[in-house]
Amino acid sequence: MSYYDIDAILTDAEKVPCKFELDIPELGYLDNNPAQPLKSGTTVGLPLWLAELLALANRAPSSADEEAKSFVSLNLPPSLSNEVMSALKADPRAVPLRDQSHNFYGLGTRMLDLFEEKEICAILRRTFVTRAADIALHAGKAGATDDMGIGGGEEFLRGLEEWERKLFKKAHDGAKGSKEWMEGVKKHRR
Amino acid sequence: MYGDLGNKLVQQAKRTQNLAHLPPYQTELVRAVTREVRDLDKDVSALLEPFQGSFHPTDDQAVACTLLVNHLSMRRNKRCLLAYHHTRTDRVEELVWKGYDVVDLAGQQVRDGSGNTSSASSTTNGNGSMSNLSPQEEDYVRQYSDLLAAYKGQWTDIDLTGSLEPPRDLFIDVRVLKDAGEIQTEYGQFYVRQGDVERLIAQGYLQKLS
Amino acid sequence: MALSLPSGLVPTEVAFLCEMEMITIVPRQRLESIPMLSGKTPALRPPRRADLPLWLALLLKKQRRANIVPPPWLLPASLQEIVHLETNYDPEAFSPPPPPPMRSDGRGVARPYATTTRSGNEDKELILAPPFLPSCTQDAPSGYLPYHWLEIAETLLAHAADDIPNAPEVRALLRDLQEVRAAKMRASTRHLEGGGGVLNIRGVGAMELAESRGFVLGVVDGVRKLGASAEAGRREELERGDDEDESDDDMGL
Repeated sequence: MSYYDIDAILTDAEKVPCKFELDIPELGYLDNNPAQPLKSGTTVGLPLWLAELLALANRAPSSADEEAKSFVSLNLPPSLSNEVMSALKADPRAVPLRDQSHNFYGLGTRMLDLFEEKEICAILRRTFVTRAADIALHAGKAGATDDMGIGGGEEFLRGLEEWERKLFKKAHDGAKGSKEWMEGVKKHRR
Repeated sequence: MYGDLGNKLVQQAKRTQNLAHLPPYQTELVRAVTREVRDLDKDVSALLEPFQGSFHPTDDQAVACTLLVNHLSMRRNKRCLLAYHHTRTDRVEELVWKGYDVVDLAGQQVRDGSGNTSSASSTTNGNGSMSNLSPQEEDYVRQYSDLLAAYKGQWTDIDLTGSLEPPRDLFIDVRVLKDAGEIQTEYGQFYVRQGDVERLIAQGYLQKLS
Repeated sequence: MALSLPSGLVPTEVAFLCEMEMITIVPRQRLESIPMLSGKTPALRPPRRADLPLWLALLLKKQRRANIVPPPWLLPASLQEIVHLETNYDPEAFSPPPPPPMRSDGRGVARPYATTTRSGNEDKELILAPPFLPSCTQDAPSGYLPYHWLEIAETLLAHAADDIPNAPEVRALLRDLQEVRAAKMRASTRHLEGGGGVLNIRGVGAMELAESRGFVLGVVDGVRKLGASAEAGRREELERGDDEDESDDDMGL
């Protein structure tokens, strides 16, 4: 992952729920309430670029008998909730992933770095691989007809998150390249 | 929230990656993001001022957390700014390799219908016409073109910026679209080698017939 | 600036390389040997057959100075056999590639199988990789698709259909093959779910690879990224386990 990677930067903007562990007078704006202090226990959706380091940064214990804590405690985002996971378990194809998150898998890998969630990991893998076969089928058709969004194609693309769209483009370009060559051979007949 | 404007800039970069041309430079947005960084820096100074240089994060955790949020926001904005410009210079270099020069690039029209913000965000160059490039980018295109020309000039037998498509036939048929004056290639006027006329095809004088 | 082409060969490049494949022709006119970078071409004496690179064979065909002898695997009977193999034998594997050009002679010695000597071919050296294998000449084995099967077949059907017996049937069989194999390719990535990252692509042709490379590598990469932290955790555990073993050993000593 490069510093300049646009998709990584956009994934970094995906929000995760954070519960603040202390009162902070200046940060009320994070909860859309700049005039009020941010109260301990408030849960706010913060982008990963903020949430991750706030959760990892250790603050010193305020008294001797208190353990070192972080400023916020993280939670799994709604796109990785139990409901979504059960839906994916039931039928990976039936869930429009893009509605969950534009960078669904990107967010997933970031969260798997922070939380040890073997089941989510397994579900994401199975979902990705199962949907990939579908993507190849649609992209192959679209590539052969030289159209990215004909008929059901557009509707299909709409439900794909970023990794899947990239995969679709790769499969599409491959199919298109070989199709174009084949047509060229026929045209070139003299 | 802080970082939202930076995110808009990165979304512009994402859009740029999916377009064939270079959309207008987002002068206003870039200015707004840099302004935000300056404001954040001022906030940091203001937060630290009462402590007279003796701030201890352990003693005042709320301030420590605020400082961390400010710092991360500045860092985020910096990354967004750099990535936006990096994406554009990447595209500029790609287009220069394809044979575009500064006039082509600066004069490119916004071809997609969604560019409703273009009038507010385009820069205006010396002649009063709209350019898709910032003045710095125009300079970059000029200098990069010179650099590439100097680099290419070292070889006379091969064209470094030529097509990467393997030829099907040694010669190709072309249709003349615009009067280009008299041009003599090595093999006369009727059959031409693709390599000899590639530049004329790119410039729109000739059309390749398949 | 990054190269604007995807990694690996693209279809047009594959097709260009394929033009180096040797192919058998029946000359209709005499032609003296031509010295070329790749070596001398055989002198052509009708009606004696000769092997030429595909690009030269096509040029002579266009000029009506030669006819092309289709490779045995491109005949309808051979293609039918391969289609049968692809559809009935194993629903997942691709039909096997041609055997290597070495065969046991039954006395413990390996011999190249396709070195029947013809004019200009006596000193043919043994080459083991496409596009220099004799996999598209008249000596090629039937019933096996060589590495460049699709490109050779399409090119010959376009430029020398009159030299191919029952070209319409060949065309139809090729479409069937392409379809059944494309479906296998799409389905093959399902085996990546476990994260092994290994895919059997034995027998897949050059053009098929060029078409699917981006997609398949994309799936491999995605599965790897999704499992990266779990994998890192597993390794850490393994290392920790090793350390404990070592300390146990130390205690034992």
